[in-house]
Amino acid sequence: MKRRLEAELWDKMHYLFRDFNDRMVHVELNYDFVPDIEALKTVIICAFEKVPVLHSRFVDNKLWTHWEIMPYTIDDVFTVSYPDDVKTAVDEFLTQYIAPTESIQMKIALFIKDGKSTLCMIENHMCMDGGDLKYFLQEFCENYSKYVSDGISPVNFRTGSRSYDDVYSGFSKTEAGVARRLFKNINARDDHRFPLTADNIRDRSFIARKQFSAETLDKLKTKGKELGATINELLLASYFYSVYELAGYPESDTVMISNAIDLRRHMESVDNKGFTNHTSWMQCAIPERGKDIFETVKYVIASSNKFKKDKFMGLYGLPLLNFGYNFLPHGVSEEIIKIGYSNPLMAMSNIGILNGQHFALCGNEPADAFMSGAVKYKPFVLLTATTYKKVITLSMCVRGNDEDRQVVSKFFDLMEKNINTIIK
Amino acid sequence: MNRIIEHIENSCKNLADNQETFRYKKMILDKMTERADQIAGAGLKDEKVISDMLADEFRDLEAGYEKHKKLRRRKKLLKVGLPVGSLVFLILLLVAFFAVSSATGAWNKSWLIIVGGVFALVIMWLSIAIAKLCTMRRVFHPIARVLIAGCALMFAVFMFLCFLMLMPELLVWPILPAGVIIALLADLAFAFVTKQKLRTISLFVYMPIVSTMLYIIFSAYNIVTWSAGWPIIFIGLAIDVAYIIYIIMSNMKYFTYKQEVEE
Repeated sequence: MKRRLEAELWDKMHYLFRDFNDRMVHVELNYDFVPDIEALKTVIICAFEKVPVLHSRFVDNKLWTHWEIMPYTIDDVFTVSYPDDVKTAVDEFLTQYIAPTESIQMKIALFIKDGKSTLCMIENHMCMDGGDLKYFLQEFCENYSKYVSDGISPVNFRTGSRSYDDVYSGFSKTEAGVARRLFKNINARDDHRFPLTADNIRDRSFIARKQFSAETLDKLKTKGKELGATINELLLASYFYSVYELAGYPESDTVMISNAIDLRRHMESVDNKGFTNHTSWMQCAIPERGKDIFETVKYVIASSNKFKKDKFMGLYGLPLLNFGYNFLPHGVSEEIIKIGYSNPLMAMSNIGILNGQHFALCGNEPADAFMSGAVKYKPFVLLTATTYKKVITLSMCVRGNDEDRQVVSKFFDLMEKNINTIIK
Repeated sequence: MNRIIEHIENSCKNLADNQETFRYKKMILDKMTERADQIAGAGLKDEKVISDMLADEFRDLEAGYEKHKKLRRRKKLLKVGLPVGSLVFLILLLVAFFAVSSATGAWNKSWLIIVGGVFALVIMWLSIAIAKLCTMRRVFHPIARVLIAGCALMFAVFMFLCFLMLMPELLVWPILPAGVIIALLADLAFAFVTKQKLRTISLFVYMPIVSTMLYIIFSAYNIVTWSAGWPIIFIGLAIDVAYIIYIIMSNMKYFTYKQEVEE
């Protein structure tokens, strides 16, 4: 008999995003040792068995969308290779695409060279977001360590509800009632685009990265305290300023960049909850560029403060989406939601600090760690920020050509210049 | 395999050692073996891990045994009790029909016993199907709603036939709009009890129809005159408006909620 899972609201929403991005979330962990491959295989199978959505295919029959749990083998999921050029192999692996109709929704690879290894993962965003992927990785590494060191079976993975409405669990009854009635669609449109070239059939996915030293982070923290801004707000201000410079928008233009927010902040606890998506957008708009980057920082602080004061930040429009998906056949609801939904042309997602201890395999912390969001299709862009061992990594995953690579590279140079201006 | 058996034996050590328990343990063993084969098929070689994973999946077997017993009892009832009971009921129905008909000589009316009995039997079978459908995914609930309406209409048809035997023909036809009322109210009750989507919309649509049917019935039986009774139709609309007001009032505290803003 076929085993099925309910397609939750965010699964459907991320499926709808197929027109905007490839929905893959990327992870790269570099270790100075080679983990036990058989043990890794055991942990991966246990993880897949405990999180069945990872070996399911998404069935869109226009009426009742759902996940169908599929059989799989470890060879479908996990590959081990010994490439000469690890960087190219990693890039090739990370920029591949898993269709939601495939039997598995996560692929893992281990690249080994000179006694070092790189563990890479790609995963369908429909299954879980970056926030939960961090938890998943943490549990994955803990299970591996306990299995190898103490022989404890790696079966301790979080399981439970994947429903969107767990997001109301941290509210009082009245507050939850209010939040469940936030039907207002706060989607605002902004036509300012990141200056990429037009779509082309020859475009290929690439991941551009830029790292900032630990020293930069320390200086940003100090400067942030002085300006009353968070690191995220300083990065966002640099993003704004850089994009004004890169695209040549008039200084007086109002520009908007959406910022991903983790809705788990509203939840009582994520224990006993399944891995899923709980991410929404906060639309940060500045009225003009400002005479210098410091004025841009002020505008960003003012804009994000408006959201921070709101107890229900990020929850607007969720009941409307739920209403749409609940009361109409999927094919119809998707078309209606597409009319009201405007995907942000420019966005930023700060995945936050990656804790080395959480990703340690038998006490071996990764020398470097990196996570990034989906590969966006032009004209959409997403800047992802992660911090590992005080090193900030900015990344942008784009489906584009060499010219686009140069544009992104120039953008990162501008980001560096503007961040340096802030911390000077 | 031994680890799995050990897990089952340990988890069920407080259960009585009888045929029923053996059947339950065997069923669990089959399920666990099937899952073990699935997991091993994915490539997991460590048997200890497989058995630990299965032990984690198949927890609290003693509580499961109670459910299993109930389920078996219900299945037995459905498989044997119901067909046999139905057959006995039909035989008794025939006996009652012949006994009443021969005793009273009212053969032209006593056939109602057969019709009523068969209808009752069908309604009982449909009720079992409805109960089963309710435990299934929501996509099957509309079928349950159709069956409920069917049961209500069968009841109305039986009442119609009864009245046909007792009343002048002209006074019987209003039973049919009454059947519509019963069907709609039964469906509405089902929608609200099982918290169906769009149940409020059902209420808004059904109430004017129900009040219109009431107007027809009351007028047909001369409780009100056709010319003066039409305001009854508006009772349905009034119920709709009252319900809208109730929804607004009960949601008012959410819409007037003011956040405490921390500066």
